[in-house]
Amino acid sequence: MNGTLAFIGQNIRRASILALGLGAGLTLCTGSRAVAADDTIKIGVVLPTTGSESKPGQYQKEGIELAIKQINDAGGISVKGKKLKIEEVFYDDGTDSKKSASLTERAMSSDGVVAVLGGYSTALGTAESVMADRYKTPWITTGAGATAIFGKGYQYAFGSLSPVALIGTTSAEFLGSLMDQGKLKKGLKVAMVVENTDHGTDYVQGFTEWSNKHAGYFQIVLNEKFELGATDFSGILQKVKNSHADIFLSDAHLPDYITMHRQYLQNGLHHQMVSYGARGPEANARQALGAGTDYIFAGIWWSNKLPYPQAKKFATDYKAFTGHDVDSWYAAPAYDGMRIVAQAIEAAGSLDKNAIRDALKKAQLKESVLPGQVLKFAANGQAEYPFVITQNKPDNKVDIVYPKDAATGEPVAPAPAK
Amino acid sequence: MDSVEYLDLLLKALLLAGVYAAMAVGMTVIYGVMKIVNLAHAGFLMLGAYFALEMFQRFHVDPILGSIIALPVFFLFGMAVHWLLVRWLPKSDTPTLASLLLMFGFWLVLQNIAYLVWGNEDQSILTPLTLSSVQFGQISIPKVNLVVFAAAVFCMVVLQIVFHRSWFGRSMRALIQNPYAAQIVGVDDQKTARLTFGLGTAFAGFAGGLLGMLFSFSPDFGRPFLLRSFVIIVLGGLESVSGVALGAVLLAILETFGINVPLPVYWHGWSFHYLPPSYQQVIPFALLVVVLLILPKGLSSLFSRKWKAA
Repeated sequence: MNGTLAFIGQNIRRASILALGLGAGLTLCTGSRAVAADDTIKIGVVLPTTGSESKPGQYQKEGIELAIKQINDAGGISVKGKKLKIEEVFYDDGTDSKKSASLTERAMSSDGVVAVLGGYSTALGTAESVMADRYKTPWITTGAGATAIFGKGYQYAFGSLSPVALIGTTSAEFLGSLMDQGKLKKGLKVAMVVENTDHGTDYVQGFTEWSNKHAGYFQIVLNEKFELGATDFSGILQKVKNSHADIFLSDAHLPDYITMHRQYLQNGLHHQMVSYGARGPEANARQALGAGTDYIFAGIWWSNKLPYPQAKKFATDYKAFTGHDVDSWYAAPAYDGMRIVAQAIEAAGSLDKNAIRDALKKAQLKESVLPGQVLKFAANGQAEYPFVITQNKPDNKVDIVYPKDAATGEPVAPAPAK
Repeated sequence: MDSVEYLDLLLKALLLAGVYAAMAVGMTVIYGVMKIVNLAHAGFLMLGAYFALEMFQRFHVDPILGSIIALPVFFLFGMAVHWLLVRWLPKSDTPTLASLLLMFGFWLVLQNIAYLVWGNEDQSILTPLTLSSVQFGQISIPKVNLVVFAAAVFCMVVLQIVFHRSWFGRSMRALIQNPYAAQIVGVDDQKTARLTFGLGTAFAGFAGGLLGMLFSFSPDFGRPFLLRSFVIIVLGGLESVSGVALGAVLLAILETFGINVPLPVYWHGWSFHYLPPSYQQVIPFALLVVVLLILPKGLSSLFSRKWKAA
């Protein structure tokens, strides 16, 4: 018995020495990391590169990494007379909102980042947003555009996407302009089917507000929500069919857009105008559905057709950096989101998170690649710049069709029946 | 809604039932014989979709033919998985935690292999059949859904024949009814289990190929189907193939009609309301709870005929 106790005691002592050694080692490692942190600025990036939102997440990651590369190639960010390079700390949240929130928390609380970018989509961005004020760390969502995130009085939350409600408003304006031109008749029936997220709610709100202010343009005959990531839309599409609407408006994320429009086509549906909110011109969708995506219009945050020289340069640089074309809007707000953070750090002149937050509130990114060419944040932290409306044309072509001063082609309305 | 619209809804529900039955049947046979809730079923569906895609892109094989080719390929794959992993599980009359963890872990492994091989992009199979439909008056029926429905019926018929007309089927039925008695009378439980796992995997691969024609897919494909498959096999009776068909039809009808037909609701007087489509997912789970409470052996226990094991 005594022998056994002595054996246990000896092992406890050994374990204690081992634990002390391990602790000392970890302290040394942390110390060396702190030394390394003096030469770099750590920026956390939390995005989905696996799971259902992996594609947009990957594009946003590429946009951020292109901006970091360009900033580092130019010498880095000037802080107190010293040029510091940006070090990206990347986290894949796997399109899981709980994981997204916990990774953001980890970045802010223990990984020593001065700011976090990310949060695609609205669902994941909403989960992340609560961490910013808790850890008093600037958080810039590059992929969540729902206004609800910015209506909670957060002081450290910013967003490089214009409010989703503006997509609905701009879509209504665009359709209204087609009615004014006589391409569509006034008073058309509209069926709206949107995802059951703040994104979908904001889209409907934007559209209905415009419609209510401009009587006689639209008659909304169906307004329904669907479950994000659903596998079958035949039931809800039957409701669309039974509503005998002239215009079909949805607000969906990329996988839902592909699945829903596939079933829309399989069920032989046709409307004078069709939109899936911010989705439409994505190469994956066009590859998946071929000519079935022709004439779909989308209200998007960015298009590679924008006539600005900096937008053209961004598209060229992006292709050289990633090896593929920038075929959707996702990368541009992420690219400018990183650039405005870098500008704010330089303006703050320190790595103090409060100073960076204050600088972000005042920041104005001139020569932004986004519509309007200036990125700045409103009082609630959300960017506000105009949307462009694109329309898919045959042979995988896409044109900006609204507003007129940015248009690269004429809108086709009503969409021809196949 | 007029009668044509009701008929349209009914046809859509039956076609959806075909999709549900195709995806659930493989899971059912494995549960019936081995009492394993095969969480890797979603991974096999996903691999089936990628198999059909590869056959289509590399060898220009039509995805329907690709799905048929998947049957023997996935049968062998399933037997290999059983030989490598599943046969080491402790035998039990009820699902064990070890089997759940093993199959869940294997699903994650399959997912991550798929991420390595095919990346994270959403893939689709686009053929002239994909977007085409058959028109019956005002009713439009997608051709792909008809193919999937026919394939589901084919799977059921093949299983019925296997169950009733082959030594293998008799062994399966014996193991389902009483595994101990079956072994006493000479049924080789390991061999039957290996063949059953192969058969279940083959049906999953076949269904995955067909589902790849209906949906876009990524390595995460199959997760929502897994939950519905589970609901269907509980509805149908955990060991009944005929019950799967019944469960699939019931679930599809409730899901389709639930959001399209107004239901009477009493709130300060009677009124009729639609179930919002965003609550469509509630239907299978509400049904699951009700059936587990009222008919824990599934819908097929309502019938006097012995449908167990077909």
